[in-house]
Amino acid sequence: MNFLKWLSSKGNKLTKQEKDPELDQTIDSLLDQMKASKDFIHFVHNKGSNNMYCFYFKSLVDSEIIHRDILPYVSDEITSLEEIKANVPIEKIEITTDIKKIQNQLLTGSFLIKMSERSEEVVLITAELKQSREVSIPEVEFSVVGPKESFVESIDTNINLIRKRLPIPELRLDEFQVGKLSKTKVAIFSIEGITNKENLNTVIQRIQDLEIDTINDSSYIAQLISDNRNSPFPQIIDTERPDRLASVLAEGKVGIIVDGAPHALIAPTTLVEFFSAFEDYFLNWITASFFRLIRLFSVMFSIMVTPLYVAVLTYHYELIPKDLLGILVTSRREIPLPPILEAIFLELAIELLREAGARLPTKVGQTIGIVGGIVIGTASVEAGLTSNVLLIMVALAALASFTTPVYKMSNTIRLIRFPFLFMAHLWGLLGVAICFCFILGHLLRLTSLGRPFLEPLYPPRIQDLKDAFIRLPLSFQSKRPVELQTEDTMRFNSKKAKEKKEIDE
Amino acid sequence: MKKLQRTVNEKYMVSPFLAFFLIHSIQFGIGILNFQGKIIERVGNDAWIAVIFGGILIHIIIWLIFKILIIGNGDLITIHYDVFGKWIGGFFSLVWILYFWAIGIIVLRTYVEVIQVWMFQDISVIFFTITFLLLVYYIVSGGFRIVTGISFLGVVIPAYLLLTLIYPLNQTEFRNILPIWDHSTTEILLASKDMTLSFLGFSTLLMFYPYLKHANKSKLWVHGANFITMFIYLGIMIISLAYFSQKHLLRYHSPTLTMWKSVELPFVERFEYVGISSWALIILPNICLAFWAASRGMRQLFRFSQRKALIGMLLFTIFPVYIIKEREHIEVLNDYISHFGFYLITCYLPILLVVTYFRKGRRKKH
Repeated sequence: MNFLKWLSSKGNKLTKQEKDPELDQTIDSLLDQMKASKDFIHFVHNKGSNNMYCFYFKSLVDSEIIHRDILPYVSDEITSLEEIKANVPIEKIEITTDIKKIQNQLLTGSFLIKMSERSEEVVLITAELKQSREVSIPEVEFSVVGPKESFVESIDTNINLIRKRLPIPELRLDEFQVGKLSKTKVAIFSIEGITNKENLNTVIQRIQDLEIDTINDSSYIAQLISDNRNSPFPQIIDTERPDRLASVLAEGKVGIIVDGAPHALIAPTTLVEFFSAFEDYFLNWITASFFRLIRLFSVMFSIMVTPLYVAVLTYHYELIPKDLLGILVTSRREIPLPPILEAIFLELAIELLREAGARLPTKVGQTIGIVGGIVIGTASVEAGLTSNVLLIMVALAALASFTTPVYKMSNTIRLIRFPFLFMAHLWGLLGVAICFCFILGHLLRLTSLGRPFLEPLYPPRIQDLKDAFIRLPLSFQSKRPVELQTEDTMRFNSKKAKEKKEIDE
Repeated sequence: MKKLQRTVNEKYMVSPFLAFFLIHSIQFGIGILNFQGKIIERVGNDAWIAVIFGGILIHIIIWLIFKILIIGNGDLITIHYDVFGKWIGGFFSLVWILYFWAIGIIVLRTYVEVIQVWMFQDISVIFFTITFLLLVYYIVSGGFRIVTGISFLGVVIPAYLLLTLIYPLNQTEFRNILPIWDHSTTEILLASKDMTLSFLGFSTLLMFYPYLKHANKSKLWVHGANFITMFIYLGIMIISLAYFSQKHLLRYHSPTLTMWKSVELPFVERFEYVGISSWALIILPNICLAFWAASRGMRQLFRFSQRKALIGMLLFTIFPVYIIKEREHIEVLNDYISHFGFYLITCYLPILLVVTYFRKGRRKKH
């Protein structure tokens, strides 16, 4: 930790004192600077007696708007900027002398008109070119039933997706600009009267305090505003589903959308939330709870199974009943490696396949997975490098780790089995227990926006267990989670929802 | 130099019902593995009566501790300071701090001993101790909420071990317990005294009381914790009396562990390995709470940072854990510390209550 701090402070000293280059600029020097770019268009529009000087970036401005809505209305009768503002049928028109504003507007797609070559005052007409991908099917958080739309890279489209689902005036949107170079728009969603003010202010505070040059994705923000940046556990959920974001906003969480990122962020969050798929809410509560328990079990299985194999085969043979031991002995009889090396070899092979599959194009990736899995697996067993019992276990563990609905969490799960493996080799079952204690301690210390990460396990809040390991029916979900300390804790009237119909009435 | 802290920021407090887990987790530690021997040596088949008496005695002492804390309104160190003044109070505080520290050391050493006997004969004691103490540091430095958290999880997660008590039931002979009250009352009372030694550690309540929200409400939970502890001890005592013959019981060093041998699952034989490993999570809150209480005491007494006190104490723990090698030494040390603790709570605390009452309680009424 100290070393990291030292590294970063050392880096800071080296950077020069930055100056704000916009301060001592005039409008002419600004325009001259921009003229150096090929896509910056400037021309003199002369209709009748007046010359009008027009400037814009052709790559940022919608040329259709210019030809249809601006130039036809800028005719020869016009003598002042005010008249342009009155005539042009676009609502966002501004007359200004502020250099900073002019620069920002030009760079986000405005059309600039000056009345004379020397004048300081200009009019800025918004004519932004909007280009974005079509809203498509969620790929990371796919669900069989339920809505099939996902966020895209354009912040406006994403905001629209949320507003459509929550058409209420209380839905509040705070917007900030982050990144010295990228000037990325970051929007924070909250619902007034529900979202805890402290949570919202923490997010706003942390985003305002960010010092960074470029933000290319929401995961940058997620890393930068996490409570503990040195933890392998993600403390902020990212989602690509607008329905999920809308529903957690209604629960009282804070949502963050970043321009250029197809993933929204949700905070504060808890550990159990990472294991709940949004599809759980589309299914009947019994089925949903069953799948949640399966997922929980598979996570435990995925982390523990190879370490337990190593621990038992290295130290505690006696633990295994005789019949089972026979199978193990037969499968390991010709293996020259100790269990730990055998396990690491196979685990690394699986990691390798996964990484290769993730980097290659989809079509090739699938083939690699199948070919690699089957061929390498069978071959290594036949060559006597690994036992087939372990092969089954490792493959199952890999499969189990993919049941985690949040991608970042499944990465964490894949990572934390390695310390378990080493400890299992060192002290057998005891080592596994000690490692487990370390992880517990770490999870206990983690917070998300200052709220405990392990809730509702610790601090134990029985009320919040309604939507943790099992998901109770929707009529039981009448209260917002205690974790969020919302201003309005009731979601709906639970009595009305639970009211039973009288027989034959 | 810091100030004596009399009130705790509400941010760091815990709910009163968590006192249940704090008390239960520190009472229920290494003692349960081998508490039967000494008591059965004294009173044979009446040992279970001694368990009940011991539990009742602890209930009385808990009542006493609450009286002191409510009158004194603070933790042990501030009460000592207010009642006895800086020097004498400081001396008594130091004694208590050393006692808490000693609990931490001896619990850790005993656990290492169990590991040596049952799992790894040649485990590197020093390496294991350092790893374990690192874990303790990581948790205690997170603050009292985290210590409470590990106490909570240290009770809830290993609770499944209670189910293993079902297995020995197949081979029990409950007539072993008869005849009831076969020994003289004195003997039974003496055995009860021995029994209370297994309940020790709950006196850390004297240190963490200010950390409980609505501390008054926690009374019931603390008594409840003690009751549950007593109940579990009673259950294990009765099952061991019924499972072993008395001669057997005296021969085995850790009857509870031996009973685990009868656990048979389709995929696990020799359950004691699983049990002892899981025991790490039961021991951890014990040690954490002891070190927390000791370092918190240091911070209050000498007014320097608790973190430094903790680091210092952990470093000085490595040494005794390493030099105590013989099993007999561990047992003797265990004995000394428990007896010392016993006299602290049965003789010193009543005196403290009386003095506190006269110095603080009466003044309040006028």
